Amino acid sequence: METGGFHGYRKLPNTTAGLKLSVSDMNMRQQVASSDHSAATGEENECTVREQDRFMPIANVIRIMRKILPPHAKISDDAKETIQECVSEYISFITGEANERCQREQRKTITAEDVLWAMSKLGFDDYIEPLTMYLHRYRELEGDRTSMRGEPLGKRTVEYATLGVATAFVPPPYHHHNGYFGAAMPMGTYVREAPPNTASSHHHHHHHHHHARGISNAHEPNARSI
Amino acid sequence: MDNQGHGHGQNPSMGIVGNGPQLPYGSNPYQASHITGSPGMVVASPGTIQSTGQPAATQLGQHQLAYQQQQQQLQQRLQAFWANQYQEIKKVTDFKNHSLPLARIKKIMKADEDVRMISAEAPVIFARACEMFILELTLRSWNHTEENKRRTLQKNDIAAAITRTDIFDFLVDIVPREDLKDEVLASMPRGTVPVTGPAEALPYCYIPPQHAQQVGAAGVMMGNKPVMDPYAQQSHPYNMAPQMWPQLLPPPPPEQQQSSPDQ
Repeated sequence: METGGFHGYRKLPNTTAGLKLSVSDMNMRQQVASSDHSAATGEENECTVREQDRFMPIANVIRIMRKILPPHAKISDDAKETIQECVSEYISFITGEANERCQREQRKTITAEDVLWAMSKLGFDDYIEPLTMYLHRYRELEGDRTSMRGEPLGKRTVEYATLGVATAFVPPPYHHHNGYFGAAMPMGTYVREAPPNTASSHHHHHHHHHHARGISNAHEPNARSI
Repeated sequence: MDNQGHGHGQNPSMGIVGNGPQLPYGSNPYQASHITGSPGMVVASPGTIQSTGQPAATQLGQHQLAYQQQQQQLQQRLQAFWANQYQEIKKVTDFKNHSLPLARIKKIMKADEDVRMISAEAPVIFARACEMFILELTLRSWNHTEENKRRTLQKNDIAAAITRTDIFDFLVDIVPREDLKDEVLASMPRGTVPVTGPAEALPYCYIPPQHAQQVGAAGVMMGNKPVMDPYAQQSHPYNMAPQMWPQLLPPPPPEQQQSSPDQ
């Protein structure tokens, strides 16, 4: 699964439109409460990549789960996948509420405050205090970055949806994210986009996370726990 | 994937227990569970009693006591968890190595076509929030694993945690009905009657000092219901989308690729 995940990273640009359509379709199906499956052509490879992009990396998820579980605990494969799905659902749920607030106030950018507000509105009260402090510390230590212009990226995404295929990006292997955002740099709109770079750095260290809590069995991406 | 949404917007109170409502066992417990954990607790109680046909107070008392101890342990663990989260965050100095990749978070946020621009801080906050979410959900799920005296966390443990926790209502569609059924069926052979614990306590007028905290917690959950009700009444949180799309954006393109089936 690690290999699959890594492969997903390299194919990232090509699946943007597909991801949007896929999740929109899922949302629509949920809204109309029907099991309509639109027949659309799609390579198995592309399908796999979309699947990867819809969820958090399972190795990260398992590592986090193990931090709260006793050492002897085992996790079934379907439980791992279920948590993956729950996390994506959580992000979409909170984001939807935050975005709604933005639109009501005629703003275009979802801010950290919008995210915290949405969590509070949706009942995640216990999360607010620690996350508020986390945000304050982030601003103290990383500098105050309150906006990131994503409009060019949005336009490009629309192009993908329209054309049905993305050929503009040919990212180099093993340095995909750097290449991706490097390509965006000339546009002059991503100069201050530090977090994506950290994300890239994050991927570099994908197999060497250094958490203060040293827990064994941190890497069990494909091992069955039953 | 189970696409059944929230069909009821009722706001049951603990007083229902006193009435001992006569509800069919077959489907109502699940529908109630989909609304909120609390009604699930209440509704499952009479159903379970009718099903077992054993009004033995002694036996129920023992199971109830075991369940309460398990719940007290969970509450203690949750309190310790949140206190620990706060302490951990106070010491955070490294914001470049997140538990979860920011690019992936941003991509999932952007999957909603209504979402336009995202500030750089939002994925950072989400990375930490998702870690806390995974930890809380895992902790609550493991509690159910222990109730059943297992050492392997399974999907039905997650289903149980979702049905018992109000703020996890939005996840009911992710776990299929079979796992919800397992949650109810599993409780009978074991004789733990986990879901009925808090409800059972009231008829017997047996409220231990620590259980009072749980009652208080239930009150807090009650307080949260008005916030959740709008979604419950609309049967699914994402029903909000149709109202937004006509106003702001044209409908999504007709070409839609079929996504992989969810378990």
